[in-house]
Amino acid sequence: MEQAIYRELIVTGVDAKDSEDAIRQVGQLFLKEGFVKDTYIDAVCEREKVFATGLELEGISIAMPHTDIIHVNKPGVTVAKLAHPVEFEHMGEPGRKVQAEMLFMMAITNPEDQIGTIMRVLGVFQNKEALEAFKAAETEDELYEAAAKYIG
Amino acid sequence: MKSCTVVTVCGSGVVTSSMIALKIKDQLREKGWDATMYEASPVSLSSVITGKDIDVIVCASPVTEDVGIPKVKGMGMVTGMGEEKVINEIIAVLEEKHKD
Repeated sequence: MEQAIYRELIVTGVDAKDSEDAIRQVGQLFLKEGFVKDTYIDAVCEREKVFATGLELEGISIAMPHTDIIHVNKPGVTVAKLAHPVEFEHMGEPGRKVQAEMLFMMAITNPEDQIGTIMRVLGVFQNKEALEAFKAAETEDELYEAAAKYIG
Repeated sequence: MKSCTVVTVCGSGVVTSSMIALKIKDQLREKGWDATMYEASPVSLSSVITGKDIDVIVCASPVTEDVGIPKVKGMGMVTGMGEEKVINEIIAVLEEKHKD
């Protein structure tokens, strides 16, 4: 199973003023650890404006910002809890807003190689027990534990 | 098993389209359809479908372009809410096209 969750990609208490600020702050984790190229963050912000990634799930709204593989060096998933919700547009439904409490930011280099990661993230979105575990996590260590368990 | 061909579309043609492609393929198999899956972004859609006999396009991002192939909204496959509706709509399109 390919690894996607790394302790250094887990963060809580991100104090963001809007969705772009949230993406920029969380994207820094990827950049600092060399997972992505310096073009990644701008590319994710631009893409979010055209193809929004907010999702209203059962009991929580999240966003899963990502962009094209050319901006990525190494696959991974950042899991971030925001200090307070910020507004994202819902994926596939222009005009529908969600108040995202968490970000699952994706760095994918090859969707075929990383289909396991992609499907485990999707599994979290659809698994009430997993979502509860992410919601309940208060510290970064607890969040890491949930992310490692459900995404790997 | 009947055969069909499905394109999933999302913004980058990478992450979300792959997510829903595998789920759709699995769930169609349970309903007796062997699906060949392709993934596209709204930008690459017309080149992806060129030269292929595509039955249905499942969209996780809005596709405004009319390429002459029925479209089904696929967001329910991402959130897990309304999955059955998505599959039923896909099957309705497939049955209509393959009724003979």
